[in-house]
Amino acid sequence: MIRLQRCGSCGAAQYPPCEICGVCLSDALAWETADALPGRVLARTVLHHSNEPRFRPRLPLAIGLVRLDAGPVAVCFLGECEPGDAISVRARDDDTGKPLLEAS
Amino acid sequence: MLLIRGYDDIALCVPVTEPYVRRSEHGAHWFLGLALRRLLDGSGLAKEAIDGLCVSSFTLAPDTAIGFTQHVGVSPRFLEWLPMGGACGVIALRRAARAVQAGDAGIVACIAGDTANETSFRDLLANFSTFARDAVYPYGAGGPNGSFALITDAYMRATGAMREDFGKLCVAQRANARRNPLALLQGELTMEQYLAARPIAEPLHLFDCVMPCAGADGFLVMPVARARALGLGFVRVLGAIERHNAFPDDPVQSRGGWAMDRDALWAQAGIGPEDVDVVETYDDYPVISMMQFEGLGFCAEGAAPDFVRRHSFTIDGSFPHNTGGGQLSMGQAGAAGGYLGLVEAMRLVLGAGARHALVSGFGMINYDRGLCSAACVLGAG
Repeated sequence: MIRLQRCGSCGAAQYPPCEICGVCLSDALAWETADALPGRVLARTVLHHSNEPRFRPRLPLAIGLVRLDAGPVAVCFLGECEPGDAISVRARDDDTGKPLLEAS
Repeated sequence: MLLIRGYDDIALCVPVTEPYVRRSEHGAHWFLGLALRRLLDGSGLAKEAIDGLCVSSFTLAPDTAIGFTQHVGVSPRFLEWLPMGGACGVIALRRAARAVQAGDAGIVACIAGDTANETSFRDLLANFSTFARDAVYPYGAGGPNGSFALITDAYMRATGAMREDFGKLCVAQRANARRNPLALLQGELTMEQYLAARPIAEPLHLFDCVMPCAGADGFLVMPVARARALGLGFVRVLGAIERHNAFPDDPVQSRGGWAMDRDALWAQAGIGPEDVDVVETYDDYPVISMMQFEGLGFCAEGAAPDFVRRHSFTIDGSFPHNTGGGQLSMGQAGAAGGYLGLVEAMRLVLGAGARHALVSGFGMINYDRGLCSAACVLGAG
């Protein structure tokens, strides 16, 4: 499941999560969950270098900026998709149990 | 337009550089302390005469400016800690100038510097900001290369910029660096070498990326009358701006904050972009230099690729740019990268006959974009 933070006061969605709504400064923030969130790829890069040894076996690694239809922009791992493509963003736990976003 | 007090009575003096090195066993305190000593040696001032201090560093932790005062035994009555990365030089200038004008300090030393070792850069990236830690670094830990690759990719798609356009800036800066003994990268760089370099984070390749290093830069800010009394050569500040978190609704960063304030900058300076002899941009990465050309009015938004094709950027070219080699050839000594263009421009105005210089800063990729923009116009004393 993917979680998106939404303000109970003004309705704005935000990502990355914060403790205060970046639009109206309310702290009445709630989590919405979904199997996937629709969005569109804005930009793509393929990493050939990583500053963390644990990523090096996975290079080259495609990541991108995705504009979620809900509004915010998220950095995601990218599957076979290009800027301009309509995609779905899902969350997948990495080996430390942290949910990371993947667009395909 | 709001009338903002100018800087007519302010002098910038004694640009100094503690030479950059690829790696160092010393801490940031050592580089900053030696930069401060160079300011004293260069001005003939006693340490006690410095009653204001602006400090920027990424690797001074757990200390900040206040802890540093005890390390170097100064007792300033004005102290600023300016963690704005690539914009910290212009911002230090602005803070120091206002303090001097208000009488809160008589002479302000502005210094920025960092050390570099095997782990310092990775530690810095992993905890650069909460957003970076939570929502960028776990995606492959590309660091600024990854973030700027995304910005560069979007810019190329929007404007038609080609790798050759970025390469033209990088190659020209290397040619400039080959005349600068302070530059770490002195080897010849051709367009063929630029294009054939290994990919780092596509579309960025090796020569688009700055090399992290250690070093420090600094300068003094004081009243013009004081500089004259001390017999110091000085540079005037004709105008200066800063802006933070500009255009937050742009989905991908295609501009910094300069567009919001450039009219105020040129109005304050009393000159226009066409009157500038030399331009020092923050060049981490070349796409950001192009955004500065656009944002500061040297060309229209989205027109920098064409501007680059029409100009030459070496020190004897039609648009002298990053005349000491920029960070791309001098190295990026952490926060000193935010001072490098400023001290280079000061040297050109003090000693090489430049009448007007534009210096621009850009800093702090907090999540998906750089948040700080700053610029100043310098003139001969």
